Amino acid sequence: MSCNPSFGGIGKGHLMREVDALDGLCARLCDRSGVHYKMLNRRKGPAVWGLRAQVDRKLYKENMQKEILNTPFLTVHEGSVEDLLLKEPESEHPGKCQVSGVLLGDGSKVHAGSVILTTGTFLRGMVLIGLEKHPAGRLGDQSSTGLAQTLEKLGFAVGRLKTGTPPRLAKDTIDFSILARQWADSHPVPFSFLSETVWIKPEDQLSCYLTYTNPKVEKIIHDNLYLNNHVKETTKGPRYCPSLESKVLRFPNRIHQLWLEPEGLDSNIIYPQGMSMTLPPELQEQVITCIQGLEKAKMVQPGYGVQYDFLDPRQLTASLESRLVQRLFFAGQINGTTGYEEAAAQGIIAGINACLRVCGKPPFTISRTEGYIGVLIDDLTTLGTSEPYRMFTSRVEFRAFLRPDNADSRLTPRGFEETGCVSRQRYERTSQIKAAIEEGVAVLKSLQLPPSKWSSLIPEIVISSSRSSPVRAFDILQYPEVNMELLARIFPESLGKLAEWRELAERLKIEVVYKLCTSNQQQEMEEVRRDEALRLPENLDYFTINASLSQEMREKLDSNRPQTIGAVSRIPGITPAAILNLLRFVKTNRQRTGGIKVPFRTGRSLPERNTDVLGKSEFQSSNLSRAF
Amino acid sequence: MRAGSCGSLLRWLAKRSYGCAQQRDTVFAVSSGHGKCGVAVIRTSGPASATALRRLTGRDELPRPRAVALRRIRDPGSAEPLDRGLVVWFPGPHSFTGEDCAELHVHGGPAVVSGVLQALGRLPGLRPAEPGEFTKRAFQNGKLDLTEAEGLGDLIHAETEAQRRQALRQMEGELGQLYQRWSQELTQALAYIEAFIDFSEDDNVEEDVLTRVDTAVAQLDRELRGHLQDGRRGERLRGGVHVVIAGPPNAGKSSLLNLLCQRPAAIVSPVPGTTRDVVETTLNVGGYPVVLSDTAGLRDARDPVEQEGVSRARDRLQQADLVLAVLDAAELAPQPGRLAGALQAVLPPSPPPRPCLLVLNKADLLAEQSRGALQQACAGDTLPPACLLSCMTREGTATLLRLLGGQLQHICGDPLVGSPSLTQTRHRLHLTSCLDALGRYHRGRAGDLVLAAEELRLARRHLGRITGQVGAEDILDIVFRDFCIGKKAVFKGTRSTTGLGWSLLGAPGEEPSLPQYRAAQSIGVTVGRPRVQPLGPSGKAEGPAREAQVHGMYMGMSGGGEGHLCSRVWTRLVNPVLG
Repeated sequence: MSCNPSFGGIGKGHLMREVDALDGLCARLCDRSGVHYKMLNRRKGPAVWGLRAQVDRKLYKENMQKEILNTPFLTVHEGSVEDLLLKEPESEHPGKCQVSGVLLGDGSKVHAGSVILTTGTFLRGMVLIGLEKHPAGRLGDQSSTGLAQTLEKLGFAVGRLKTGTPPRLAKDTIDFSILARQWADSHPVPFSFLSETVWIKPEDQLSCYLTYTNPKVEKIIHDNLYLNNHVKETTKGPRYCPSLESKVLRFPNRIHQLWLEPEGLDSNIIYPQGMSMTLPPELQEQVITCIQGLEKAKMVQPGYGVQYDFLDPRQLTASLESRLVQRLFFAGQINGTTGYEEAAAQGIIAGINACLRVCGKPPFTISRTEGYIGVLIDDLTTLGTSEPYRMFTSRVEFRAFLRPDNADSRLTPRGFEETGCVSRQRYERTSQIKAAIEEGVAVLKSLQLPPSKWSSLIPEIVISSSRSSPVRAFDILQYPEVNMELLARIFPESLGKLAEWRELAERLKIEVVYKLCTSNQQQEMEEVRRDEALRLPENLDYFTINASLSQEMREKLDSNRPQTIGAVSRIPGITPAAILNLLRFVKTNRQRTGGIKVPFRTGRSLPERNTDVLGKSEFQSSNLSRAF
Repeated sequence: MRAGSCGSLLRWLAKRSYGCAQQRDTVFAVSSGHGKCGVAVIRTSGPASATALRRLTGRDELPRPRAVALRRIRDPGSAEPLDRGLVVWFPGPHSFTGEDCAELHVHGGPAVVSGVLQALGRLPGLRPAEPGEFTKRAFQNGKLDLTEAEGLGDLIHAETEAQRRQALRQMEGELGQLYQRWSQELTQALAYIEAFIDFSEDDNVEEDVLTRVDTAVAQLDRELRGHLQDGRRGERLRGGVHVVIAGPPNAGKSSLLNLLCQRPAAIVSPVPGTTRDVVETTLNVGGYPVVLSDTAGLRDARDPVEQEGVSRARDRLQQADLVLAVLDAAELAPQPGRLAGALQAVLPPSPPPRPCLLVLNKADLLAEQSRGALQQACAGDTLPPACLLSCMTREGTATLLRLLGGQLQHICGDPLVGSPSLTQTRHRLHLTSCLDALGRYHRGRAGDLVLAAEELRLARRHLGRITGQVGAEDILDIVFRDFCIGKKAVFKGTRSTTGLGWSLLGAPGEEPSLPQYRAAQSIGVTVGRPRVQPLGPSGKAEGPAREAQVHGMYMGMSGGGEGHLCSRVWTRLVNPVLG
């Protein structure tokens, strides 16, 4: 955790639940390292509840290392990767060459059947404070330039993004007594489906505190803009957790929230969320001391900005494998995302697929209709991104169905059956609760009473008096005032057991509330699935195929590399005629030759290294390069 | 996907066989052309086709597959007979779309067609087809080979443009702008609620955005409701505008009827009080269906038969949408001041005030001088539009028809709203669904915000279906919508299986504009209800029955626009909100 000491949030919590459903680590570790658990969006409906926790940085690291080092058959080797080992491509896949391992900084080679690059902000990373800048991926850590050059030479379209981190403050120098306190939840909800509870006692949790900016802060920032390279430059930064400077410039004359978050149980460091800045350190101190509660606060480490390379994610397939270099996968900030959760979501997909690739098995991808992970990866690989991509619930079409509570029933069985990434224990637990929910729904549908009877049993609810036919318990449970406990009192023998299993009771309630909406959406989801099932050859050379396509369409198709008709349909500006011609071309071509003899864009021989042969690929000629 | 990528496309096509059709809903549409034609073909496709056919024909057994059967077609709700027509049952997969299909060959009059469509729309599991949806389904079920027609792509491209222009033309009117505005307001509201869900806790998105959403939705709700209750325009068009000829005895009412319908439908004689009963005929004026009634002359009759006639005349006047008040010009000419009083005696006393045309008959008997005096008396604002007419010499017929046409247009409202096309049915259904969703928003708002937002999304989707906002996201839908131009080639086989010789003429790409459409209506003779007689702009009948030369083009209301809504809302609207 190199930035904020927290995990989850709205949309991000969904991603963590899905990562957990595929037996990823971060959710389980957060349940063992959190110091402040809070469910966001409580009032807005279970589909958008945002699980979130302040996490003890030290504990998380310890737990993560313990977990990784104790994973059987896993060798951990620390070192900086300077270059990729390449060899002849496999002819049945697209790509000009194939990765066979990595070359480390000390000159040693690590051979591998597939390689995943998760470079974070380290690719040509540049740290900026005030007018100073020096190459680094993180304060105190070297950046990676050798690898960046290799990737560029291979022909990857490279872009530049920026992010930032706030100054850190000494806890014992802050006057919390005058600030608004935010308590943690008294009943913390764990992230993982496997955790019964979180590790910490509710009453032992730490609090966060809220303070605000003021006109004095604004003035300091305005007066010193000339000292601030990071903010002035045009590199794209996140709009979603912007620096204090951007907030002040974009919304002048307003006060902004600043959250003071603990970094750990025995840590004396406070992370002031919302205070990312890149002013020279002495000015940062000035800003800090004019904020309420921070008048005497000591800055432990200044805030700074980072600018780094990312690769256009449209160069990847939905399994996050590169189309240019076979068996090379990318995950995290290298694909243009921001946030731990987005990185974890890509990490698990890249990891699973890197493994499947070595075993010669078909890739494992998640559809937009199956999970937030699917939406995230589809957005990235189809549309690309021009600013750090963050997950939001509003990006998701089928939000009422893709909920945090049912991530396991959506993904765990697939993970277990198709990839083996899920433990048997988790699989069985999921199967059990899935079956129990189905049974519960069936029971609820079978229990019926006349409306008048319901009204007398539960006076709080208003049943339309025009109804004369019996009403099912299933329909009654949809009322906000009704829960399983209440129904179990009415039908003790049928529902008593169901209501006792607390998790089941809660999940049943949510399931029932959204049932109508999700069943209405089924058809729409089916349409999306059909379009996604219509796959296009991923190695089609759109510039040379003999189809009636305009140059503009060819460029769009080439730069976006859609993998399915569903993806084509989401590319802005592609005309109906183009999509039809594309279909026609693919189909006639197949009929004529009995196989795929479409022109591919692969270099068939192993490229010479350290020359420009690879550097000038079609990417340069397409409009892609103009996008950066 | 790797080596077999093209193969998987084929496999995918093959896989889309009959099996997966079961989960879909059933769609229906007029598959023949619009406008009055001898026969209209209404087609359904999907699992509920059999039920629909059973309910509409009122019989439990289905006709023999792919054989034509004659059936009485009823509204399943009211059991009211709609028409007698041919029905064909195509069980899947041996049908055009590969799904269960039914075809109803009904008489082509707008009343019948819209009656059947509305009856279908009320059946559970049925909805109007999106443009091109039949073709899309056929393609998805592997029934249609894209490569068969050489150069289809180019053809489609060319015609797509034509269709776009057509749709644009149609939606450029005020109505289109209104729907666009609603759609934009809804999108805005949705963006606000999304911003509140995703940002309110950590960022400064204030609670009052929700109040703004509530206000916007309530406002929309009111406007939509008002719009849907806007008069009986649609119904008038379905049943015909009721025009009643009334006036004192012997003013020439029956002569006027005969003049307008071009045949001696009513007995005329110089004897006052000849007409006793109400004589009714239907005709088509400038494209509007009219039910014209001639009534007994209004006077205090002594003869009980005539008394009954007068009483019926007064009843009929009460139901009139438009009154043709016929007065004797020769009688009034000496005292033009009596005009207002004479008119008052004719018009129905009880509200609401009816639109009225004053017809001063027997103009041939007038001297030049009294003609001028009468015209002057009519010129004021106090009297309704008037014209001098001679049923004897036919002088003034053109003027009367012009005035009548104007009144009808006024009554039927915007021709876009009033056009008795499938579009109209779709509008109404989608607007109603939109309104329902807005209603559920208010209910959901108290409980689950996600569900409330979902209702807004749904409402917006229904509006989008009317305004035809084309997002890049719905390209596939658009492909297949535009593909329906390919019907000319595709539907050939299906037509011949029906064994019916009906034809839809007209070149591809020549969809009728609204004036063309109405012109087509006015020359087409149909046998539907109301029975409509041809009446050209000259007031003369246009010869024997002929089929309307209207090409069977869907009047391009394009598909949804919601697909990737969230991301679009996101980039277009949420971002500006947050800066």
